[in-house]
Amino acid sequence: MIPIRCLSCGKVVSGYYEEYKKRTEDGENPKDVLDDLGLNKYCCRRMIIAHVEVW
Amino acid sequence: MNIDIKTKDEQNIILIIEGVDVPFINALRRICMVEIPTMAVENVEIYKNDSRIFDEVLSHRLGLIPLKTDLDSITLREECDCEDHCTSCSVSLLLKETGPKVVYSGDLTSQDSKIVPVHDRIPLLKLRDGEEVELEAIAQLGIGLEHAKWQPTTTSAYMYYPVITIDSEKCEVCAKCADECPRGVLQFDEKENKIIVLDPEQCTMCKTCSKDCEPSAITVEGREDKFIFKIETDGSLSPEEVITTACDILAQKSDKILTFK
Ligand code: SF4
Ligand code: SF4
Ligand SMILES: [Zn+2]
Ligand SMILES: [Zn+2]
Repeated sequence: MIPIRCLSCGKVVSGYYEEYKKRTEDGENPKDVLDDLGLNKYCCRRMIIAHVEVW
Repeated sequence: MNIDIKTKDEQNIILIIEGVDVPFINALRRICMVEIPTMAVENVEIYKNDSRIFDEVLSHRLGLIPLKTDLDSITLREECDCEDHCTSCSVSLLLKETGPKVVYSGDLTSQDSKIVPVHDRIPLLKLRDGEEVELEAIAQLGIGLEHAKWQPTTTSAYMYYPVITIDSEKCEVCAKCADECPRGVLQFDEKENKIIVLDPEQCTMCKTCSKDCEPSAITVEGREDKFIFKIETDGSLSPEEVITTACDILAQKSDKILTFK
């Protein structure tokens, strides 16, 4: 499960993961989705792009 | 002191603050980060948890959910007369779900309609068919000095206001600086045949421009009495509330020093 908050800055990232996953699977550019979700800092962006849901 | 609001939305604010010094603005920054009370889950009573997630991990996840905070309606734990917790110093959030489903922060039912999770779609745990979870999460006020879950800000930072000066006598108008600037701050103006500074507030003071300037015509410096101050909150408080509360706390602290005997 994705950590609730960004490990570096503490911004909530988990609430956006499902939307990010769905939209990128539908063919949107990951950069545009992250920008649109308001995840501007690179610490938060890596939380999302590096996450693998294993259970 | 002169404060200009550059941009502002629900969770972010950028201020241009002029006429203060570094110790002052740094005090403000640190108070914004770790001394403003917010609500967060502090104790969890777990009645049932069939899921694969450990009770401790689940409690930790609950603690990290930002809760909308109304500073006037809740008392700090230290200032309350009760022994453990009561309705004036805490709010209970109840959770009772049966699988199969993913349980989200929005499934928590708060006993106070004003103190609710900021986000509804934070996944907390997954339940398989027939598995149940039942718990009571007790949220209380606290400050970031004690635990990071009580920090209202996720960015609290300032930088010197950049001043970019181009010595027109030395400048050879090679436009190298404008090409090199990663932030698009500088522009070569063909009509006037000179370099113009578009928006100094976008400058990060990386000094790439001055490093590559052979005649050393361009210099980038920071003013020590003017700052760009940026706050992003986790949604528990608005950025204005954070700044104004921080100023109140700083004033109280200063009073304490002034009246110290
Ligand atoms: S790099 Fe230096 S000399 Fe060239 S245009 Fe910029 S300031 Fe002028
Ligand atoms: S210091 Fe960096 S950001 Fe600022 S103008 Fe020069 S190259 Fe651009
Ligand atoms: Zn981050
Ligand atoms: Zn109490």
